[in-house]
Amino acid sequence: MKKAETMTVSTFAAAKGRHAPARGLVTFRSSALQVILLSVVLLAATFLGREHSYVMNIVAYTFLFAGLATAWNIIGGFGGQFSLMHAVFFAIGGYTAMNLFKLGVNPWIALVPAMALAAGFAVIVSWPLFRLRGKFFGIATLAVAEMMLVLANYFKGLTGGSQGMSVPLKPGLQNMIFLDRFHYALLMLGYATVVLLIAAYVYRSRLGYFLQAVRDEQDAARSVGISITKVKLTGMALSAALTAAGGVLFAMYLRFVDPPTLLSITDIGVRFLLIALIGGIGTLFGPLIGALLIVPLEFTLRAYLADVVPGSHLIVLGGSLILCALFLKRGVVGLALDLMNRRKEASHG
Amino acid sequence: MADMLLNVEGVTKRFGGLTAVNGVTLEMRKGDLVSLIGPNGAGKTTLFNLITGQLTVTQGRVRFKGQDVTARSPEERARLGFGRTFQIAKTLTSMTTLENALVGAYHRHHDTRKAAERAMNCLEQVGLGRRAGVRAGLLTLSERRRLEIARALALGPDILMLDEVMAGLNPTEVDDIIHLIRALHAGGLTLLVIEHNLKVVRALGHRVMVVDFGTRIAEGDPETVLSDPRVIEAYLGKKYA
Repeated sequence: MKKAETMTVSTFAAAKGRHAPARGLVTFRSSALQVILLSVVLLAATFLGREHSYVMNIVAYTFLFAGLATAWNIIGGFGGQFSLMHAVFFAIGGYTAMNLFKLGVNPWIALVPAMALAAGFAVIVSWPLFRLRGKFFGIATLAVAEMMLVLANYFKGLTGGSQGMSVPLKPGLQNMIFLDRFHYALLMLGYATVVLLIAAYVYRSRLGYFLQAVRDEQDAARSVGISITKVKLTGMALSAALTAAGGVLFAMYLRFVDPPTLLSITDIGVRFLLIALIGGIGTLFGPLIGALLIVPLEFTLRAYLADVVPGSHLIVLGGSLILCALFLKRGVVGLALDLMNRRKEASHG
Repeated sequence: MADMLLNVEGVTKRFGGLTAVNGVTLEMRKGDLVSLIGPNGAGKTTLFNLITGQLTVTQGRVRFKGQDVTARSPEERARLGFGRTFQIAKTLTSMTTLENALVGAYHRHHDTRKAAERAMNCLEQVGLGRRAGVRAGLLTLSERRRLEIARALALGPDILMLDEVMAGLNPTEVDDIIHLIRALHAGGLTLLVIEHNLKVVRALGHRVMVVDFGTRIAEGDPETVLSDPRVIEAYLGKKYA
């Protein structure tokens, strides 16, 4: 009886399988549609505030960090490799843009070598580091980031040392330099959208599923023929390249970079991770939501609290982070997804 | 000789002073169904891991489809046609049931849509079709075991190796899996099954290999092997042999 039942089920599935989209699989197309819808909403919101230069600065930072955290999430979230060295890729982007600008190469073109350099560096450094698992990998990447900070101060020819580098104010689209911060906000929104689309594609592709399999159970992944190191390196290279692109935009926004601005562990390196953590590590939209929450909050706290007790905004931020780590392990987006699932199950049962 | 699939030639594994597997030889042809039995700690799972490459051999060779795979990594062996499950189910808990099978199916199809179709068919085969959209971390033990089989099947392996897929299941669930194994075997798949439960071994019939203290102590059809005094001694002690 039981056997007959399963037989009919499987023949039924075989008969209509070709047309019915498989259950339990979100397609790239639907994720991409969500990304574009969200971007349109954010675009409209940005237009509303375009007159306020102060607000536009916050908005530009928010979108930039949304893109950066999403890029980090590809290897850190999907792949579960908690890299603390993404500031290095960010700095590679920033310094490449600055140096090439001096040579007369515009930042749009500089994106290509910046991304290639970061990806190459990521592969070379990660190769040995991927022998370490879990927190040990994280610690090693932290050491790499610290080392690069020292080297950036030392190699003055490339980085301008601790005095930093700056580019002259030559406004124009081809120079990626704008007088109106609103235009930077648009640029950063464009960046965040592109990174989100790439992340959505990866998430719903062979690479994305392999990264998640590697994160969940390495032995199981190997047993279905996945080369762990190759998958991790691919994810890391892609993540590094996208981070470097953000570094180029950031450098052209500030028009000034020095080692602490690009390579600071607390202000840059850890921030990608924190934003992803609060929004929801390993989810597609977690880093975006995290950036929308954290970056404006941080600016506001800094504006209102820093005068009262210097540094107190960091205490509030740190506190909220600890709360998130304790009670929201899958971040805001993870919580929302859990609640939705619970409702779905309740209505079915 | 032409249809010889797997040759395990005198493999030995030592962990320091402990010899877990000692010179075991096993030959399997295409379409064979072999049960590997033995008391706790006999070295069954170690032998399994030596065959699939999770562990490297101290001595001996493993040949698969005529190739020497002794030095190959587990992922290379998987691509050559080894499908396996783990004794403690290694479920990809944050992914859905379908996505679990999908990572196996990608081996056959690069295209996600086609791979998903294949994965879905494998889930239907093990009776998990209805659970496709559920996060695999929420599956029951029996469902996880079946998911392990589906994931390995999605690879389209030449040999499927099941490591105690029935441990901890209730009798109805065990019957379901016996049906499944028989159906897969009838479909021409080669299977190597580690089993603890002698009732199951009898039900599966076919060839049985008994391992104790890392050595092969008997091999043959279930009735002969299970009445072999050495096997009874290994399971029940000298008194009953």
